[in-house]
Amino acid sequence: MNKSKTIEIQKARFSESPWIKRGLIGTALFFLGIFLFGPILVVFLNAFGKGIGPYWRALTEPAAISAIRLTLWVAAIVVPCNLIFGLAAAWAVTKFNFFGKKILLALIDLPFTVSPVIAGLIFVLLFGARGIFGPWLQAHNIRILFSVPGIVLATIFVTFPFVAREIIPLMQSQGNEEETAAVILGANGWQTFFRVTLPNIKWGLLYGVILCNARAMGEFGAVSVVSGHIRGLTNTIPLHVEILYNEYNFTAAFAVSSLLMFLAFVTLVVKHWIERRSRKEYCGL
Amino acid sequence: MPCILFEPFSRTPDFLEIMITKQFKRHSVLPGFGLTLSFTLFYLSAAALIPLLTLFWRTSAMDWASFLRVLGSPRTLAAFKLTLMTSFLSALINGAFGLLVAWVLVRYDFPGKKLADAVVDLPFALPTAVAGIALTTLYAPNGWFGKCLYKLGIQSAFSPVGIVIALTFIGFPFVVRTLEPILQDLDVEIEEAAFSLGAGRWQTFSRIVFPMLLPGLLTGSAMAFARALGEYGSVVFIAGNMPFKTEILPLLIMTKLEQYDYSGAAAVASAALLISFILLLAINFLHAWSQRYQEV
Amino acid sequence: MSIEVQRIVKTFGSFTALNGVNFRIAPGELVALLGPSGSGKTTLLRIIAGLEIPDSGTVLFDGLDVSSRKVKERQVGFVFQHYALFRHMTVFDNVAFGLNVRPRRVRPSQEAIKLKVFELLKLVRLEGMALRYPSQLSGGQRQRVALARALAIEPKMLLLDEPFGSLDAKVRKELRQWIRELHDKLHMTSVFVTHDQEEALEVADRIVVMNEGKIEQIGTPDEVYHHPASPFVSHFLGSVNLFHCRLEGGKILFGNAPADSGKTEGKQEARNATVYIRPHLLDIEYSAPANGNYFRAKVKSINAAGPLVRVELTTEWDALVQVEISHERYQYLGLKKDAAVFAIPKEVKVFTEDYSI
Repeated sequence: MNKSKTIEIQKARFSESPWIKRGLIGTALFFLGIFLFGPILVVFLNAFGKGIGPYWRALTEPAAISAIRLTLWVAAIVVPCNLIFGLAAAWAVTKFNFFGKKILLALIDLPFTVSPVIAGLIFVLLFGARGIFGPWLQAHNIRILFSVPGIVLATIFVTFPFVAREIIPLMQSQGNEEETAAVILGANGWQTFFRVTLPNIKWGLLYGVILCNARAMGEFGAVSVVSGHIRGLTNTIPLHVEILYNEYNFTAAFAVSSLLMFLAFVTLVVKHWIERRSRKEYCGL
Repeated sequence: MPCILFEPFSRTPDFLEIMITKQFKRHSVLPGFGLTLSFTLFYLSAAALIPLLTLFWRTSAMDWASFLRVLGSPRTLAAFKLTLMTSFLSALINGAFGLLVAWVLVRYDFPGKKLADAVVDLPFALPTAVAGIALTTLYAPNGWFGKCLYKLGIQSAFSPVGIVIALTFIGFPFVVRTLEPILQDLDVEIEEAAFSLGAGRWQTFSRIVFPMLLPGLLTGSAMAFARALGEYGSVVFIAGNMPFKTEILPLLIMTKLEQYDYSGAAAVASAALLISFILLLAINFLHAWSQRYQEV
Repeated sequence: MSIEVQRIVKTFGSFTALNGVNFRIAPGELVALLGPSGSGKTTLLRIIAGLEIPDSGTVLFDGLDVSSRKVKERQVGFVFQHYALFRHMTVFDNVAFGLNVRPRRVRPSQEAIKLKVFELLKLVRLEGMALRYPSQLSGGQRQRVALARALAIEPKMLLLDEPFGSLDAKVRKELRQWIRELHDKLHMTSVFVTHDQEEALEVADRIVVMNEGKIEQIGTPDEVYHHPASPFVSHFLGSVNLFHCRLEGGKILFGNAPADSGKTEGKQEARNATVYIRPHLLDIEYSAPANGNYFRAKVKSINAAGPLVRVELTTEWDALVQVEISHERYQYLGLKKDAAVFAIPKEVKVFTEDYSI
């Protein structure tokens, strides 16, 4: 009896007239279609518009290859750095209470409010020819700006919160009891982290890493400021896309874009999969 | 023996940790406070704080007259006005459609719902440059949507309209993802109570549900607004980048940089950052306000 | 192993959780820390375990000062209120954890660990559950896993924080008896925190009653129940009727009749006093007794459900008094609502403002 009552209540809750309901769903889908599915379709239709041959050529020309290689390099440096930072920050912030914790949390969010162009600008001001360290760097023949180190620094600035942001709420909600129990049972710091904390946050951590990676590979504004656009040397995939597009080489531009679109899809799929998984797992406790 | 490696971390608190423990940290038996906090602060300072400070340092090196000359120039003012206007408009659109999409995704079942839900995050995951060229292709005079809009007399690319479209795209997930959990947690009983007291569907929504969603709606829109203020990649392609007409702030900074006008770029960037920080404060207050009905 | 705490003070900001606490627990004792929430009992338990550091005072294990020892060096078994089981590990791995994390040179072999774990699982009657995950267990089973896990490191004492707090009433009762049996088997010094007086009275050898960061009384269940040392203790342990009255020359003015307070000594001047009488220590008669204390009252309501009949009386001075009598007595008296009766206290407890008689 109780059950049938809940069902009735559920119905009462969804009691808009079918027409209003259909109208709302229709409008929402229309909006999603125009704004989100439109761009997806455009990228793939233009990328493959002239067949698989030009698509493949666009991806395998030397400039494209070197852009892909540089992007992978940058991600390979940036993502592990941000992963370690994210874990350290999350441990400090969620396992302890200390003065200034809220300020620290706000600082971690800082890049979200800083325009990517400004993120690039600050490194130009530091390391550019007329920047603070510019003359010294020039005297010692060290290149930071318009080369890989600059791209790495700018990318780190833009992407460092992603891992931390993903696992801090998770670790907060899980509390400290399990770790405390581990310490009482004689585990040391690393054992506590690797055997108790890490298994509990692994899915959130994985998503944080993947999102961080997608953002690092796709960063445009900040990298655009510090890279110098030297073909075959300091072009990342997004910068390569820009150059191709500005040369009216649309097919190639969209072909290279499709790589980043795939990356975005992978990110979304992993996110979806992890959400489903974590909902299923441990829900009893 | 592996455990020797771990000793300094797990057993003997270093000098720094003792100092910290005595001063401002609540006791905890968990190890690693000194290590993780000092690494966090080091990384944060090296990667973000010190570089950002150089920006303000650079700006403060300017005298007031030249600072005001840069900020007060018609071109800068036009860029500020355009950026604020288009960001605000896109935040409004995202507020309205974000609420609609969140509502539909939480409350109704329809074919393709899972796909629709998954694709909402696309603007977070898609590089802005790709979004930029895709949107430009769609809304250019010969694009799929552009064709129709130009016929209606709406110049949808290389105009402020185009900027609003790009900013709406990149800010879209904020409102939906802020509202979804709030909608899910809304107590059914509250709506039932309203029904039982004789309220109609629309009255229940406008007087009960909407006020409860409002703080989240404002927070989400403010976040979309903040993101829009700094957006560069998706806008440069569709905007047309005409000074005074379709030149947004980040682009202005970029232009000044390309002309080696470091001080000018720093001045504009500082002002833009200041606006962002104020907005961030506002978002934090909004967030605190949205929690006010929450039981502790 | 004996546990002794001396002059423990602990504050959290402006809140004083513990304000100079002293007591000693003998080896092999099972002691309950009993008190309302905010009385400091959990903080005290955590200080013994080393999870909190007191502002001042010392903790001694077997006479040795362990105040500066870290948690893992204290070798305590600790059972958390919500168990804190490792949710991603099976029951087996949970119990084996404390052995698996030992440095290699003192770690038992995998065979020995396996033997030990199954021995413990047998002890807590969960042999068949070794491969389950915590989320697949009932509350009582989780509690027992937490206990087995704590015992695996062969602790010198067992500390339990609200061990029955999050279980439903029936499981609680069973687990209570089981814990008592287990303690009689292991004879390990054990301390548990509870806010439930019934639990403390039933399980513990001795009870430490705490209130507002201080110890109100330490004693056996019998002592604290029948001879409460303070108004708080008599209130907190079971229901009680309270009367405000005057104490003059060793007699209390109690309703109309002056009653013997039992002792005449020391201060003879008149003073305010509070009298406590437990409901089951009041009897009801239709006529006044020849000697002893009594007061007149009227029956307000009767509730005969349960093992005892609860009668509510209205006194002449308009106070409500609870009385518990047996069903036989109730039938014999044939009590009716509004009947005029005499209430006869069999035992009274008098507290004056600063000392008790």
